[in-house]
Amino acid sequence: MYQLKKVDKKFPGVHALKAVDFTIGRGEIVGLVGENGAGKSTLMKVIYGAYQPDGGTVTIDGKTVRFQNPRQAMEHGIGMVFQEQSLITNLTVMENVFLGFEQQFVRFGVIDWKAMAAAARHQLQKVKLDIDPAMTTAKLSFAQRQLVELAKVLTLEERIDGDLVILLDEPTSVLAKEEVELLFSLVRELTSRASFIFVSHRIDEVLELSDRIYVMKDGEVVDVVDHDAAEVDAIQRKMVGRDVDKEYYREQKQKPFDPSSALVRFDAVSVAGNYQNISFDLHPGEVLCLVGTEGSGREAILRTIFGLEKPSSGSVIVKGSPYSKATARAAVERGVGYVPRERKIEGIVNGMNVYENMTLSQMANYASNGVLKIAEEKALARQWIERLSIKTPDVYKDCGGLSGGNQQKVVLAKWRSGGSDVILLDHPTRGLDIGAKEDVYDMVREMSDAGAGIVLVADTLEEAIGLSHTIIVLKDGVFQKRFDGSPGDKPSLFDLVHHMI
Amino acid sequence: MRFENLKPYFPWITLVALVLLVGAFNPSFLSLSSMVSLVADIVPLFIMALGMTFAIYIGGIDLSMQQVANLVTVVATVYLMQFGVFVGLICVAAGFLIGAASGWITTRQFVPSFVATLAMGFIALSGARFLSGERALSMNAEARDASFAWMFGNTGGVPHEMVIAGVLLALAWFLQTRTTFGRALKAVGSGELAAISSGLNVDRIKILAFALSGTFAAIAGLMFSVKLSGGDANLANGFLILAIVAVLVGGTPLTGGVGGVINTLVGTLIVVVIRSAMVYLEIDATMQQMVFGVILIVAIALTIDRSKMRIVK
Repeated sequence: MYQLKKVDKKFPGVHALKAVDFTIGRGEIVGLVGENGAGKSTLMKVIYGAYQPDGGTVTIDGKTVRFQNPRQAMEHGIGMVFQEQSLITNLTVMENVFLGFEQQFVRFGVIDWKAMAAAARHQLQKVKLDIDPAMTTAKLSFAQRQLVELAKVLTLEERIDGDLVILLDEPTSVLAKEEVELLFSLVRELTSRASFIFVSHRIDEVLELSDRIYVMKDGEVVDVVDHDAAEVDAIQRKMVGRDVDKEYYREQKQKPFDPSSALVRFDAVSVAGNYQNISFDLHPGEVLCLVGTEGSGREAILRTIFGLEKPSSGSVIVKGSPYSKATARAAVERGVGYVPRERKIEGIVNGMNVYENMTLSQMANYASNGVLKIAEEKALARQWIERLSIKTPDVYKDCGGLSGGNQQKVVLAKWRSGGSDVILLDHPTRGLDIGAKEDVYDMVREMSDAGAGIVLVADTLEEAIGLSHTIIVLKDGVFQKRFDGSPGDKPSLFDLVHHMI
Repeated sequence: MRFENLKPYFPWITLVALVLLVGAFNPSFLSLSSMVSLVADIVPLFIMALGMTFAIYIGGIDLSMQQVANLVTVVATVYLMQFGVFVGLICVAAGFLIGAASGWITTRQFVPSFVATLAMGFIALSGARFLSGERALSMNAEARDASFAWMFGNTGGVPHEMVIAGVLLALAWFLQTRTTFGRALKAVGSGELAAISSGLNVDRIKILAFALSGTFAAIAGLMFSVKLSGGDANLANGFLILAIVAVLVGGTPLTGGVGGVINTLVGTLIVVVIRSAMVYLEIDATMQQMVFGVILIVAIALTIDRSKMRIVK
């Protein structure tokens, strides 16, 4: 009934969807899997109307439709349950459920709250949630809010004729095991009312729930498998698209590190609400990779090393002493460099040119009495443009106008030229094309050869395995397992996944 | 040339077009002497706008400047007899401190700068009214000439206030383009989060930016006071909107990060030309505020970088 044919979507520099075909029938549960950047989110956004496709057609029961916005998609029965929950927490449950559709309860210009509460209770029954609709949403647990979101989408049932398609975006990522099972049985029951598209990075869950699974890679659907024919192994191989090549991650260049001294020492460190009791040492020349799902505490550990997060207990020693006052400034002064995930927002300053960006963290080295020595800055920039082969017309180019890979090189040059030897990499290859990724891998090896210690939160598990000397697996902020990854003796994907979930 | 590429030159084009337009109606406007006197006349406004540039360049705003200038006119008048030329230092220090306080409130108490500076402005206004006893005070003419006659002299046809404006502009330009502080201002204005992640002390930079705008407001106030030979809690009224218009029309958008003090020079000149055009066109004086209000709205609507402002409240 709902069908995409040869749907294309391009963004500047990225071909996000390449002629994607996608079908979902009445009462079906369809799974959608792929690595980060494979095009899952873009595809979902096209389906629920947030993006308009550049090519191809979208049809419902054979009729071509084109949605200008999510509201129009909703009017055609397509609803989205968001991963980052879209409920407004200071409103009541019923206000959230009928947000934007209050008109039906308006009598003489005011809202008839009793009627709304009754209608909301009816919706909540569909998801078997027995709560007072007049409750403030903030008081609900995370799992309950997820169900309220689902109930909100299910209001479409009364509002429109025709079938419902509901997208579930990573609905299980923060749920406990029992909650996941409850959600699954609920979804199966609800197939009498709607079809579901289930997006998750937990392949086992997708296999369990879905009738059919779409596997995406680099903006293409590379395989469609039926529930019965599906195997985790085969799907995973399709997602990656190749047997992972050792050279791709520069494994041959991985050298043993020096374990006799430590750059960063974590001793039983906890940050309340993020992670507990984490201990590790980072040595010169070591690539230490933190592995876990979103929210497992990996990013918080990076932020702690960079002084953006204060430990609630335990000791953090960076280069021999703890921070007297934890700030990013203190960390930078000690030679800690941070390559953030939000490259365009936190990595480079969009609106400043190449040399201004490169010296931003070390202006004191390029100034006397506060007056900048701009000629020296430019010389530095030229030297690093050459060294990292950064593609830019000149040093005056606004970094916001460079490609993602070159922006990342500017960020890395900023830290390396300033002599930083503790480098924190948060998804350093996110959104980069393959060539740019390989450049980043080369730089990682170069930095560790030069004696820098690197803490990495990788974009994919393969990247984590390929690049690291040491892997620490985290789950819900708790240490799970430590792996050593010398070349030729690396842990496998399954070793890691097993401890992550 | 695409529209986006032309955008930086808009202020210059506007200025030249306006000058020619007014000149066409009134050729005497184009004479050197009339231009010099016109420009010399607006030096206090220009100085205020220079200070405003720093606040807007980091993405904030300073609404206290007019009241700081008011306060300073009173302070200068009251303490002139006692301290002579050093009253200037007191005035500048007062402006610096009030600005720094606004910056501290903004960065450490998380009060948006438009509220923090508005509130500090009222505090300064109260100070001015208290100190002046709500009267218009006048300076002792002898003491004024002894201490500040140099401000409004004339050497070889060049009015001294223009020299002062030139020196301050050069100073501000040097600060903006050649110092680590100026670079940090730009980083905060165009990408505050990246500035934090590069280890800059963003709070201190912001506090200093507001302190600078306060300082410039004080210098403007001092010049007013000397020029009009008196002090009054309402003396500088009407100048705030002109200063904001000058900065924005000059091409420093409210979102910060681009533009700068040279743009403000152009912006101020545009404001002056428009003001004198209104005189030539015999537009009623009561309409002036309205005209500048409309120009302000148009200038913001045209220059704002919408990609940086997802939500406008």
